[in-house]
Amino acid sequence: MRDLTDIWVGIQAWIFEAFVGPVLFHFGLMAWYEPGYNAVEFVMLGIVQIAVIAIGMRFFERRWPLEKPGEDDGLILVDQIYTVLNKLGVVPLAIFVVTYPLVQEIELTVRAWGFAPPRLERVLPWLGDNALASFLVYFVLYDFAAYWLHRGQHALSWWWALHSLHHSQRRMTVWTDDRNHVVDDLLITLALVLFSQLVGVQPGEYVIILMVGRLVESWSHANVDLSFGWLGNRVLVGPRFHRLHHALANAEEPHIQDHNFAPVFPIWDILFGTAIYDERNRPTGVDDPAIDADNGRGWMVQQVTVFWRFMRALVPRLRRAPVH
Amino acid sequence: MNKLTLVAIVLALGGSSAARADAVLVLNSEEASYSILSRSGRIELARHPVGREPHHVIVMPGGNEMLIGSTVTNELLGLDIRTGERRRIVKDVIDPYHLGFSPDGKWFVTAAYRLDHVDIFHADGFRLAGRIFIDGLPSHMAFDAESKTVFVTLQQSGRLAAFDLQTQTLKWNVPVGDAPAGAVMLPDNKRLLVALTGQDGIVVVDPKDGSLKGELQTGKGAHNFWPKGDGRHYFLSNRVESTVSLIDTEEMRVVGNVRIPGGPDCMDITPDGKELWVTQRFLRRVAVVDIEQLKVVASIPVGKSPHGVFMLKSGSTGPAKGPVRAASTAGDTK
Repeated sequence: MRDLTDIWVGIQAWIFEAFVGPVLFHFGLMAWYEPGYNAVEFVMLGIVQIAVIAIGMRFFERRWPLEKPGEDDGLILVDQIYTVLNKLGVVPLAIFVVTYPLVQEIELTVRAWGFAPPRLERVLPWLGDNALASFLVYFVLYDFAAYWLHRGQHALSWWWALHSLHHSQRRMTVWTDDRNHVVDDLLITLALVLFSQLVGVQPGEYVIILMVGRLVESWSHANVDLSFGWLGNRVLVGPRFHRLHHALANAEEPHIQDHNFAPVFPIWDILFGTAIYDERNRPTGVDDPAIDADNGRGWMVQQVTVFWRFMRALVPRLRRAPVH
Repeated sequence: MNKLTLVAIVLALGGSSAARADAVLVLNSEEASYSILSRSGRIELARHPVGREPHHVIVMPGGNEMLIGSTVTNELLGLDIRTGERRRIVKDVIDPYHLGFSPDGKWFVTAAYRLDHVDIFHADGFRLAGRIFIDGLPSHMAFDAESKTVFVTLQQSGRLAAFDLQTQTLKWNVPVGDAPAGAVMLPDNKRLLVALTGQDGIVVVDPKDGSLKGELQTGKGAHNFWPKGDGRHYFLSNRVESTVSLIDTEEMRVVGNVRIPGGPDCMDITPDGKELWVTQRFLRRVAVVDIEQLKVVASIPVGKSPHGVFMLKSGSTGPAKGPVRAASTAGDTK
């Protein structure tokens, strides 16, 4: 294990010391020296994630597809662009630039009042001696917050205006998870970072939680006809469970997408009465033609049109007058 | 039988006090833990949790306890200096990034790097005497020999500030160069050395008024000092250059360099004076340097972003003599 760590850290240090560090030094940005080093790791982790998706998960999609190849296959390309932009840090960097000062200001103000984030290890000292248990506890807490944020994305009209971009995909694959509007990503990131600070998630733990969580979520969007089994499907969110959340609403099931919200652990849906387990195969997408029109658009056009959708939902005056 | 098992058995047979006399403490700043290493075995023996973002460690006046500053949880963790065992937690010390006791042991000072203030406490009971808000990322500190003044580098604004300990007021605040970090007062009490992490060397400052008296090129990202122990030579880590320079402060020249990859940062010397231990922030390791040869002889794996390093004291240390200084006088650039 240590050998792997040495190889990983050796590559990270080499990239940083050969390229990133000297640039930061040259431009007098030494206050960003440590964050810059962590950013290198973020990009490296992104490359690993893309490899896992493109090689590992895609193998299962090709071998055991749920939906056979069809005319909507061309819609997948834009999701691949989303994944690359997200995993390689382009979108996260933009979000970081926006959220960092705000998160800093909130944290500093709160700490200046004397409030320090609690650590679960204080309450449960045994956690401190068990890195895996500590990671799992924080992961579960993080997922709990993510579950309620996801419900918020569906319950609030202005937030749905953003999140509907994610649901508009008719051809769900391992690439679909990253298909989100940057403002949506920004809001979720901001909320989860603040929550993580509140409960005391370590920066290192946060990166791993993020990586593992996003990989599980990529897998839960996969176009595969596989199951974890009765018990497994209740422990971890799988493709069939999450596909139901993306199901196209119809007269029989008008609120089908208000189920199976959990990002990683289905326990939240089970506890809060939003879980549906069945074996039916349903088409995915949205029944609103204006939102369905996202399909076929490129990354930039989607970002612009969905932003206006968001603005219209947020500011009533911007809504179009009804045609009589 | 692997090396770790062998060392563990030897330490167990040798008894705990002997084992810990041989121990080194390293703060894993991004893992919220500290590692205990075997000095002779050159291996990590244990890792314990500690607050969040621990960066520096300092010896209490009296020499029986050391304090770790847990910056994000606003507290100090007190450990037994001989055994490394927990003794207490001092709460409500806001953002204790860098820590220092005045040489007379009466004042305790913290530099709140992220919260932009310097706190001056009565060391007895950690009673806050005064808080001075000052922009520019207060980074590292040094004291004058009379325990009247504390000097604090301001990493973002490129300045050095001097505060009167008795009145907790600003005496002067002057520009010294890009991203000043580590600072150390020389034994003559007339020259203050300041490392410029945004440049490639150090400046010599007059502690009376902050005027610059000289400069010395060492390496890119000059950051942190550690005394060799002879009152004349000081080690200096250059984080961007990835070297440690040995400086002769009488002649003000570099008399040696050793390459230490991975952003070398804090340092400490073994009690026999033969080895310099240096944290390698980026490599998650601690380098061991043979001082006579100026050569890295070992590199020991620890936790993420190791920062402060401290040699646990053996047996009966007794009260500390002379100035009490931070075990890790410099920090990071965050």
